[in-house]
Amino acid sequence: MMSPTARLVVRRLNQRNQALAPFFTSTKSFATEASFETRPFKLHKLEEGPKTSVTVTRDEALKYYKQMLTIRRIETASGNLYKEKIIRGFCHLYSGQEACAVGMKAAMKPADAIISAYRIHGWTYLMGVPPLGVLAELTGRKSGCARGKGGSMHMYAPHFFGGNGIVGAQVPLGVGVAFASKYRGDDNVCFALYGDGAANQGQIFEVYNMAKLWNVPCIFVCENNGYGMGTSAERAAASTTYYTRGDYVPGIWVDGMDILAVREASRFAIEYCTSGKGPLVMETATYRYSGHSMSDPGTSYRTRDEIQEVRQNRDPIASFKEKIISTDLASADELKAIDAEVKKEVDEATRKAKSDSEIPMEELPADIYAAPLEEEVRNVAPWEPLRHKRIGSAVNLN
Amino acid sequence: MASALTGRLGRQVANKFLPTLLTPKLRLRVKLEHGFRQSAALFVVGSEIKMPSLSPTMAEGTIVKWLKNEGDPIAAGDVLCDIQTDKAIVSFEIEEEGILAKILVGNDAKDVKVGTLIALMVAEGEDWKGVEIPAAGSAAPPSSPAEAKPAASQAAPAVEKKTAGGHSGGQGPAVHRLLEQFGLSSSDVPATGPKGNLLKGDILNLVNQKGLKPKAPQTVLPPAASKAAAPAAAAPSKTPAAKAKPQVAKGSKFIDVELTNMRKTIAKRLSQSKSTIPHSYGGIDCDISEVLKLRKALKSEGIATSVNDFVIKAVATALRQYPHMNCIWDGQQAVPVGDVDVSVAVATDTGLITPIVKKASEKGVQEISAVVRDLAARAKQGKLQLNEFQGGSFTISNLGMFGINYFSAIINPPQCSILAVGTGRLILGSDGKPVQSMNVTLSYDRRAIDEEQAAEFLSGLRDILKDPSRMLLGGVPPSMRARVGI
Ligand SMILES: Cc1ncc(C[n+]2csc(CCOP(=O)(O)OP(=O)(O)O)c2C)c(N)n1
Ligand SMILES: [Mg+2]
Repeated sequence: MMSPTARLVVRRLNQRNQALAPFFTSTKSFATEASFETRPFKLHKLEEGPKTSVTVTRDEALKYYKQMLTIRRIETASGNLYKEKIIRGFCHLYSGQEACAVGMKAAMKPADAIISAYRIHGWTYLMGVPPLGVLAELTGRKSGCARGKGGSMHMYAPHFFGGNGIVGAQVPLGVGVAFASKYRGDDNVCFALYGDGAANQGQIFEVYNMAKLWNVPCIFVCENNGYGMGTSAERAAASTTYYTRGDYVPGIWVDGMDILAVREASRFAIEYCTSGKGPLVMETATYRYSGHSMSDPGTSYRTRDEIQEVRQNRDPIASFKEKIISTDLASADELKAIDAEVKKEVDEATRKAKSDSEIPMEELPADIYAAPLEEEVRNVAPWEPLRHKRIGSAVNLN
Repeated sequence: MASALTGRLGRQVANKFLPTLLTPKLRLRVKLEHGFRQSAALFVVGSEIKMPSLSPTMAEGTIVKWLKNEGDPIAAGDVLCDIQTDKAIVSFEIEEEGILAKILVGNDAKDVKVGTLIALMVAEGEDWKGVEIPAAGSAAPPSSPAEAKPAASQAAPAVEKKTAGGHSGGQGPAVHRLLEQFGLSSSDVPATGPKGNLLKGDILNLVNQKGLKPKAPQTVLPPAASKAAAPAAAAPSKTPAAKAKPQVAKGSKFIDVELTNMRKTIAKRLSQSKSTIPHSYGGIDCDISEVLKLRKALKSEGIATSVNDFVIKAVATALRQYPHMNCIWDGQQAVPVGDVDVSVAVATDTGLITPIVKKASEKGVQEISAVVRDLAARAKQGKLQLNEFQGGSFTISNLGMFGINYFSAIINPPQCSILAVGTGRLILGSDGKPVQSMNVTLSYDRRAIDEEQAAEFLSGLRDILKDPSRMLLGGVPPSMRARVGI
């Protein structure tokens, strides 16, 4: 009585159990790795740069694809939640820039650190927080990675020193994190990320100096998405060759829409820093699809056509997908299955982030200190203090 | 047996993978396999597109125009429609890709609440015509996030109560404070505010009706004492905080007085005057003993005049003698005016109005008196014609009848001067004899009139009031001045 369709389903289900073999595809075998030529890197005060010929295995490719897609989906969900007024306040989306974060993460050693500005939902996920931890943080609920108390700009994870709202101020902190590594004598580096707009901040030049003076293993990453808050890089910067702006700090320019190029440049940078040569500047040329924040429609200083042009021709996910398929690393159906899996996971997290509860009032003064020396926290009326508590687990203590 | 087995497996497959991995066609077939035999099972579950909030303050919006039609493919970043928010028309971009399957709220739909279902999208390759339209109820906007949240607040109701300092449910801090003072809960008080908000007045009403008394505030130890005294649980009545009773004015209600159109105009013009005209001021005391004598004499003959009538006549005469004072400001420069048209401030129930005694320099005091009385009476009835109170070259405002010694007034543009007249009072003259003195204070537009010119005018005015017979002199109209060589 078994209908042909059902029989088909059963057989394929059995097959699926054997391995990660693709569902509903023929049993064709795939390439286990593939090589690509990246766009040339541009170098500043470097004799030699990263290799332009890069190799990726099938497993790596699928992992990067899934990571980029998850970030994109989280950002889409965030945008929608914002438009439903469930996320309030600041909210900066990373859509378009996924290859930068995923590329860097792919090259990072487990204990390498990263610190960035406020566009950090994707980084939080990459550094180990599941989508629910990110989305519930955005909706201010207790499953958020900062229990809903931090919001869009204040998410943290092990080796991730978080979002920072003051433009440029994270960069000196990043140099400090890198300095700690040098001081302790481990071989970790710190990626200190900032935007093209932040690149004009004076404090960045101050820490270029200190980092080079002491050869601190810091990788200065300028994510050049072409725009600051309402103005293009060209209108704001006397020099837009950000990879050269460290002057005596060597630099690399990399195509930030190509995950493999970013990974290669990051590997090179880590290698360079850990060999004791000191800091490096890495400019990732990328693009931001949404406005600066949710209050910026993003179309008053650039045209919608420009955005759509980038989406169609340079999208980091679509172009990587094409690479995967054209080199037979995986089939279109297989990627489709990943799409569906990611969509489901993020949809589920979104639902939970909406229905989750907020922390109770008593928790408001909790977790201000990892090891509080005093149990009381000053309140609005100083003689009616609140009680400090420890609830969450502290990260990055030393 | 075989069928039982496959049935189970099939169901597992369906449950586990159906939402994600099956293409729509397969989904359909698996459904059929389970006997959900709905006619052709046209049943593509679309993803919902809701009215977005596109400005921080937007609560509802108008769909101006759909830029995509049903069946159109949508790429990420495409604009679906233009939406008029409370601020501007904003393009509604969509981040997802697929096919626009159904438009549920059409062009020009007004005031659609944020969160209302406005369209459905399906994935590429799905049968968009077969999209399942949700039941009508689900198209309504969901309760606002604030209302939807409360799992948390329910979890900790005791804590919630204590947050008297915060704003919640549209209650202002004053409302909170009153509720706390009288030990009331917001549900005890009938609310009359917009959206059912509780107003301060609502609580005061209830307090009045029931004669409620504020409850003694909770003892709060002063900071210094807190540590030492806390274990001893200090006697509350002795702490200073316990003595200070909250003050609530008895029977106070708050009524907003909406401005009448007239008051609005006054407010606008006066603010404009005071903030754009550089006002300068000069005051002088005038001896009006002779004026009062004259007035008394006339009265004994049955001719009624007021001091103000004499002031008008004196001002009109002085303006003839100092014609640069009789001018208006045209935005660029001072323009002398031929006639002496004196505006006289008259108080009415709805506000001050300034009817004009036209050609005052050519009128006698008795005529001026009659004209003013007629204008004032009609002003109070609101029966003045426009031309009877618009124009004028100089304004007099007199508060003498209220016993005001002196005050300063705001210029009534485009005029350049206004004279504030105080009350007559007895002072000791330089010869030691009592003198009836009256202060006048001139506010003038310093762009049009110099201090010296204003001073000359004021001293001339003082001379005329001191010796009313000088009113006979009149002045020479500007048109004639050149000809006769003055
Ligand atoms: C010290 C400081 N100045 C100004 C701001 C406001 N601000 C926030 S983001 C931003 C633009 C930064 O642009 P960019 O560095 O290019 O980063 P992107 O937003 O493109 O990621 C500005 C001016 C701020 N947060 N801190
Ligand atoms: Mg930028």
